[in-house]
Amino acid sequence: MDEEDPLTPCDVTTGFFVLARCGRPAVVGCPRCGRPVCDRHAGPQGLCPECAGPQNDDPYDPRWAGGYRRRYYSSSSQTYNDTTWYSSFDDYDRGGFNTGDDYSYGSGDFGDDDGGFVDS
Amino acid sequence: MTLIVFWRKQKAAIAGFHPLHQALIHQQGFSVSLRPADWNALIASLAQHHAHVRRRRWGLPDRVPAVLVPMLRVLMEDMTGKGVLSVAADLRGPGTPEKQGPQVQLPVRRPVRSVTQWFAVDPWLRMRAELRDGSVLELAVTDRVRYRKVHKVNPRGKHKTKTKTKTVRRIAVTRRTAKGAPVQRPGTPPPPWIRVRLKNGERTVITAVAKIPAGDDRSLPEHILHVSTETFRWTRRTR
Repeated sequence: MDEEDPLTPCDVTTGFFVLARCGRPAVVGCPRCGRPVCDRHAGPQGLCPECAGPQNDDPYDPRWAGGYRRRYYSSSSQTYNDTTWYSSFDDYDRGGFNTGDDYSYGSGDFGDDDGGFVDS
Repeated sequence: MTLIVFWRKQKAAIAGFHPLHQALIHQQGFSVSLRPADWNALIASLAQHHAHVRRRRWGLPDRVPAVLVPMLRVLMEDMTGKGVLSVAADLRGPGTPEKQGPQVQLPVRRPVRSVTQWFAVDPWLRMRAELRDGSVLELAVTDRVRYRKVHKVNPRGKHKTKTKTKTVRRIAVTRRTAKGAPVQRPGTPPPPWIRVRLKNGERTVITAVAKIPAGDDRSLPEHILHVSTETFRWTRRTR
């Protein structure tokens, strides 16, 4: 594992309802999106949780809640008809909702013609 | 003399499980307050259950993987390592004698001879979590089951009885915000099946309550979280 960089905090979103950045010292940059990731959140080949792909549906897996959070915010936004609830995620986080884009980060998949249910 | 010991390996495996895991197997419940690291130890033990125990009598209640573990995971996401998460789980079901209410006779018409009605109140899950934003979240899931035992006699004198049940599930979520935390009415109202109450004070108390028909337990975490969501929409994000 790479060395910790105390000046670069981990940029992974943590929490379920009370969202925050992880903030622990980053040890690696995600090779796909470039965001700094700490040793706790670095996946295979140093990928961040969003770029590492879909999470499994096993709640016994410690990473389950992170993947479920993205699905839940999508469904609860529709239940409440509240777009601000969903838009509290940023582009990194919302990347997980866009199926087919391989969880990529960038403006292309999050533009106005996204066809999603939120004006971001 | 040969001593035959049945289920020896499975008994040994259960003896090595987390004490609360054993309580779920033998008593179908527990009431305890722990920190997240201790809850993670319990979840790690529960994850080993099916690999070592196959006897149905020692199986975990269905609500453990379907409801309890997902709710533990979700609440722990919003806690620091020093926060305390309390859980009172009673997974024995509504048929337990102490959960049964008094029986009453309902008026009947022939061919029905009698209708006996009673209710069972089953508060089977209560959780309290100290969240990292300084607020405290409490949730309770209570099943209220109506039983109706009908006794009828057909024209040939044959007696038949049947018991019908109807279950209504009440989900109540209360969040006490941190001291002085700003509270703001959300832009959209909650769905009509969720009722909200607000009590202002040094700590604002937001209560959301919903009654839903009891269905598949696997969808219950999402229902609980939908009710919980309302208590978080009133406060600004701390990100």
